[in-house]
Amino acid sequence: MDPLAGKYLRPEKWPGTACPGCGLRLLHREVLTAIDALGLGPSDLVWGTAIGCTGRQTYATWRGDTFAGTHGRVYALATGLRLALPREKRILLTVGDGDAFTIGLPHLLAAARRNVDLTVVVGDNLGYQSTGGQYGVTTPAGSRTDSSPYGTWEPGWSDGGLDVLGIVREAGASFLARHTVLQRDAVVESVKAALGTRGFSLVQVVYGCHVHYGAQALGDGTVGAIQGWIRARTVPLEPGPAPEVAPAGFRTGVFHDARGARPEFTERLRDHVAAVRARAGRTS
Amino acid sequence: MRRVFDTGNAAITEAAIVAGCRVFAGYPITPATEIAENMARRLPEVGGYYVQAEDECAALHLCNGASLGGLKAMTATSGPGFILFADPFGWAVSAEIPVVIVDAQRVGPVSGITGAPGQGELYLSRYLAHGGNYETIVLAPSSVQEAFRLTVRAFALAERFRTPVTLLADQMVTDGWEALAIPETSDERAAMGLEVVPRRAHPGPDFYPASDAIDVPPVVLGRGAGGACSDWTPTERGHDTEEVEAQHKHAHRLIHKIRRHRHLIDEHEAWGLEDDPEVILVSYGTPSRVVKSAVARARAEGLRVGGLRLVSLWPFPDHLFARRARYLSVELNWDGQLVREIQRAMSPGSSAHFFGRCGELPRVAELCEASRALLRGERLARRGWELEAY
Amino acid sequence: MSDRIEILLSGHGGQGVVRLGQVLGLAGSRQGLGATMLVSHGTETRGGYVRSQVVLASGEVDSPVVERADCFCAMTASAYERFHPLVRGTLLYDPAVVAPGADRAARRVAVPASATAAGELGKPLLANVIFLGAVSRILAATLDRTAVVAALRDRIPRYPEENARAFELGWELAG
Repeated sequence: MDPLAGKYLRPEKWPGTACPGCGLRLLHREVLTAIDALGLGPSDLVWGTAIGCTGRQTYATWRGDTFAGTHGRVYALATGLRLALPREKRILLTVGDGDAFTIGLPHLLAAARRNVDLTVVVGDNLGYQSTGGQYGVTTPAGSRTDSSPYGTWEPGWSDGGLDVLGIVREAGASFLARHTVLQRDAVVESVKAALGTRGFSLVQVVYGCHVHYGAQALGDGTVGAIQGWIRARTVPLEPGPAPEVAPAGFRTGVFHDARGARPEFTERLRDHVAAVRARAGRTS
Repeated sequence: MRRVFDTGNAAITEAAIVAGCRVFAGYPITPATEIAENMARRLPEVGGYYVQAEDECAALHLCNGASLGGLKAMTATSGPGFILFADPFGWAVSAEIPVVIVDAQRVGPVSGITGAPGQGELYLSRYLAHGGNYETIVLAPSSVQEAFRLTVRAFALAERFRTPVTLLADQMVTDGWEALAIPETSDERAAMGLEVVPRRAHPGPDFYPASDAIDVPPVVLGRGAGGACSDWTPTERGHDTEEVEAQHKHAHRLIHKIRRHRHLIDEHEAWGLEDDPEVILVSYGTPSRVVKSAVARARAEGLRVGGLRLVSLWPFPDHLFARRARYLSVELNWDGQLVREIQRAMSPGSSAHFFGRCGELPRVAELCEASRALLRGERLARRGWELEAY
Repeated sequence: MSDRIEILLSGHGGQGVVRLGQVLGLAGSRQGLGATMLVSHGTETRGGYVRSQVVLASGEVDSPVVERADCFCAMTASAYERFHPLVRGTLLYDPAVVAPGADRAARRVAVPASATAAGELGKPLLANVIFLGAVSRILAATLDRTAVVAALRDRIPRYPEENARAFELGWELAG
């Protein structure tokens, strides 16, 4: 067993449910590398997941406490949990692109607006893959998938100048980054920064599904094919304001860093409660 | 003891505080908004947290999350929000997380009439989670003081059974005003028969006993002991599994931890059953108060009429319908919901009849009239409505 | 008092119909009577019709429904139209807006609350407290006047002198 996995994961859940060669396994390990680099142990971090490939791969693998929410709702569940946990406990959520940016987006934005101390790692496999390969909001424009046999026709969150991370930034997030799973060191650095953020942080990691997306959209279902394709489409984020029309491809880098700029959700709430109690002559 | 004249909404709020509720997440909706407003005022005073959620689905998930972290939590809504609870309700049922839900039923379907009472969610409260394979606990108050008592009870049952408990109220109870005695000491609570079950925490790793045991502490995360809790079919460690055997054990536990301990849940009130009545009026919530008056008046007239008020609605009290009688279900809806359960549960030779009304309460005179008609063996028909379809 | 007294109050939103019911219910409850009040209204908190059904009883109140009103306060024409079939005892109405027709009231008392509030008190909002004074006199055999005045002070703590004066005027109007 991989030594990092042996240190942090439940042996009976290793190597997990992802297909052989899947970038999700790389991502899982990159997250562990970041946790290890921060010197965190099982009792320092509660690990939540959603459903789909990312949820299945990562749920109940962590030796510490772990939970899974329903599709798209884990941000609300984690917000409630945040209320009950002491501030030094980290909450990490590993979720998919559908969970974060489609069905769960309103809840995710509410968590960003409140600046809830959560770290969301989005394993972006470019669509709905655990259901067999349907297009989602991060599927590149025109892609052929099982639910877009003639190519996708509706815009996603990365088409025509849109960028979903811009929405999350405007909602009030403290730290946002996007990388491909092949940018190992950058993913580790961003996850470390995210876990060190006192507030809402999110790292989107594009890995693409070679089994479905590779076969359906690229015509080649091998790991090598999707990795080559991802590498060829990776462009660095331009510093400064976002270009009016974003270049096609995966714009990677730290998207937004406003760590410490806004008070965190539970801090704000605890201050509010303390102020009410002080006014009422009680000590908290 | 603090004595006030206040609403059911106020009673539910104060009872939740007494029961140890420290988190309320909700979304404004008539006629349950006042509970949210009261909680927003009261919770900070006791060191608790009020969070206004982005929608009702998030509201109950927030409560679930807080409970998963060890804090008692409650939410409150009305029909249009209740339906949005379906997703987090199922999660709490399956993950066995204690939480209390208040539904102040109004007139439906959908938005219907906001400020008038209805009783359209009897079945929804039972089957809110999709997929079946569970039993649930639903209580129905009929007065302001009882709303207080049953809210405290709902919290106690939620803790003991590791499950969401629903308080199925109606607009008349939540918005209605009545005298309310609020206990302020543990002695006063005990004198009122109120049991407060403190949160016990099971840090993990094993927390899905393959048995129908109750009083098993719910999983509480945050201690790093390997607690695991999800919406998937769990192994006894809480890991996700697709094994049918594990699913059987899980479903068996969710159903029978409640059904086999239903004596701890069952509660009803009966009027005049000792005299072997021919006609029995059945109801829950505010209409049962009119039924009580009607039964008293009918009996004063010498009619062989009795009454049943259901306090615990689910698990459904089949055993109350063992006697042979003509049952008249009095409900605040036009489609007949309670009557279907009565028809299913009643003994052979019995008959089930329906008196529907919506948006307002029936009158004593009408119920007496309907009772007399049933005693004469007549069908019940009113203004073109065929009320005796059952 | 008789075992059960039913009081129906109705007007439009913003007229204080709920407040009146609260005061009567609170006073009754403090006297040791069983007391319930049901509130019905439409979507709007202002503008729609509002109805308070108050029931006072020597013991516990079972049915909280007013079926035969011992006292019906009609504060608007539409309230009168809607609920007059329920009145059996005393009808109190504002003659500025209600013209009683064929109802089954045993007694009709015109309470020119809006005119008195605007004219004598210079504050139209006090019409509801004038009604409260009038209703309290009708219910004097059931509700202790000092209990009602105390409940009024607790429930509507602002402008206690003005409210006391309005209550007094209402009491006199129902004489």
